[in-house]
Amino acid sequence: MEEDIDTRKINNSFLRDHSYATEADIISTVEFNHTGELLATGDKGGRVVIFQREQESKNQVHRRGEYNVYSTFQSHEPEFDYLKSLEIEEKINKIRWLPQQNAAYFLLSTNDKTVKLWKVSERDKRPEGYNLKDEEGRLRDPATITTLRVPVLRPMDLMVEATPRRVFANAHTYHINSISVNSDYETYMSADDLRINLWNFEITNQSFNIVDIKPANMEELTEVITAAEFHPHHCNTFVYSSSKGTIRLCDMRASALCDRHTKFFEEPEDPSNRSFFSEIISSISDVKFSHSGRYIMTRDYLTVKVWDLNMENRPMETYQVHDYLRSKLCSLYENDCIFDKFECVWNGSDSVIMTGSYNNFFRMFDRNTKRDVTLEASRENSKPRAILKPRKVCVGGKRRKDEISVDSLDFSKKILHTAWHPSENIIAVAATNNLYIFQDKVN
Amino acid sequence: MEVQKEAQRIMTLSVWKMYHSRMQRGGLRLHRSLQLSLVMRSARELYLSAKVEAHEPGAPLPPARSPDPRLHPREAEAAAEAALLDGEQSSPEPMDTQEAPRAEEPPARCAPRPAKVSRKRRSSSLSDGGDAGLVPSKKARLEEEEEGASSELRDRLQPPAQAEGAFPNLARVLQRRFSGLLNCSPAAPPTAPPACEAKPVCRPADSMLNVLVRAVVAF
Repeated sequence: MEEDIDTRKINNSFLRDHSYATEADIISTVEFNHTGELLATGDKGGRVVIFQREQESKNQVHRRGEYNVYSTFQSHEPEFDYLKSLEIEEKINKIRWLPQQNAAYFLLSTNDKTVKLWKVSERDKRPEGYNLKDEEGRLRDPATITTLRVPVLRPMDLMVEATPRRVFANAHTYHINSISVNSDYETYMSADDLRINLWNFEITNQSFNIVDIKPANMEELTEVITAAEFHPHHCNTFVYSSSKGTIRLCDMRASALCDRHTKFFEEPEDPSNRSFFSEIISSISDVKFSHSGRYIMTRDYLTVKVWDLNMENRPMETYQVHDYLRSKLCSLYENDCIFDKFECVWNGSDSVIMTGSYNNFFRMFDRNTKRDVTLEASRENSKPRAILKPRKVCVGGKRRKDEISVDSLDFSKKILHTAWHPSENIIAVAATNNLYIFQDKVN
Repeated sequence: MEVQKEAQRIMTLSVWKMYHSRMQRGGLRLHRSLQLSLVMRSARELYLSAKVEAHEPGAPLPPARSPDPRLHPREAEAAAEAALLDGEQSSPEPMDTQEAPRAEEPPARCAPRPAKVSRKRRSSSLSDGGDAGLVPSKKARLEEEEEGASSELRDRLQPPAQAEGAFPNLARVLQRRFSGLLNCSPAAPPTAPPACEAKPVCRPADSMLNVLVRAVVAF
């Protein structure tokens, strides 16, 4: 009897401890598809979970479509490179959706070395009435078959199945950090630290190398590629960012190997901000074209910058994400937080940009009104239908009520991955192993 | 002085991180290694420039800034990797002892620490010599000033002995550089308090650092 009580106590405390999370469940990428109907997440364990927005019913007009799990599958498994004695992590680094061209959905998912094309399709009918097999699939004795019938399709419970259609392997020596689908829908690129390869979806055994920044002597290495993306409309144009805080725009029409850039975006360093860690905090962790294709947004450790494609010498806009960390860089270096790679996203109309921070905070900047807001993704604040309260970090002096001081920030709770619905104000925020989906308030 | 200490601490930390990153699942990350080497380079430059400034006002610059003597491994452990680490445990601020006002500090600070026979012997035998580069330590001072970060480092500083791995060349380079130094100093007793012994104090000198940086990046 007493044992039961102890077990219950243990079980209860285990379940109540929300901070317990297996590392495999940590979400490593979040992406809406082109219509926003589907939301895909990848995690460190190599799994992909796809959520689908439920159809808005006439009965519940006020209740906007919520996202429910649609499909779960294991995309990548841990592998071992015997030649280099290296384990290849199964963590999904990026997911990118292909535009929908038929009833099935296609997405690309990648780990450090291999890109896979997955087909996600529904099956809601099954054939019945085979001649040679019975309903359980066992072969019928031909002697018992006296009539011929045509199999018919009968409805069945909806089944969503994911099948790997292509595996693009063995093309990257270094770790893949980005994939991007071209607007021609026939090709895509994958980028690692030193090279970018161009693939055709139909061909898995070869790819074209379009950027190679590996120096002849590795000791002369000074920068690596950190992110890359195709232009949303011009299938010949792409950009890639570097660890030195620069962005290069390349035109594939210029030459087969795009080592020489068409445009080079770099902001001269502000000497007043120069510190010990200046070099590493200037490394760009994410680059995204605006939906219009006119701007690019880059995220480095402390800021988000919006660049006009026609102005290379400095960004158009710079937003401070968490400048209060500038004086804490040394501690952040010690606990490795300074190496965190934050992503950034545009909203559908390119008027608002969003990025994550620490303490499960994420920030939104309205480019038109120049207003910004800090919100928190946490269980306590996220009862269904609750409105998120803006948060504020106190940088010194008197701390007001509801403000949080810089030293109280939890640096283990970081929001690296966020996504914005392509047309509506719905956002997905990944906080370690939890996914939060927020919608605009409905009047 | 603070700047020097800080720079040195960061150098040490960087080397430790570089070493630790080899053990990580997924292999060495090129970007991470590059960033660590950049920080280490900055720290080294800062350290050296701070040192030059400290010596600017009149005091003669000691001729022997040579790297090797500064590295004082204080333990002899059998494992290659442990040897590698030990090679990095060098006396923190030998040049400080060259400054006249501070000359008497090291022996005083060394005194309270037990089982530092080899170091005390060394300092007493060399402090009178002109060979400033060989004189050890402000170990105790460093210990006082270091925060939880280093205690964390201490706890994690028992890596599995793994001479080979993804980057055998790196391991070999580092072993080669540091094992030579091991041979010229007597072994300190292994029962020395971990607070002092396991501290990942690293004083790579210019050329050593170059080798380290190059070795890490070139794979």
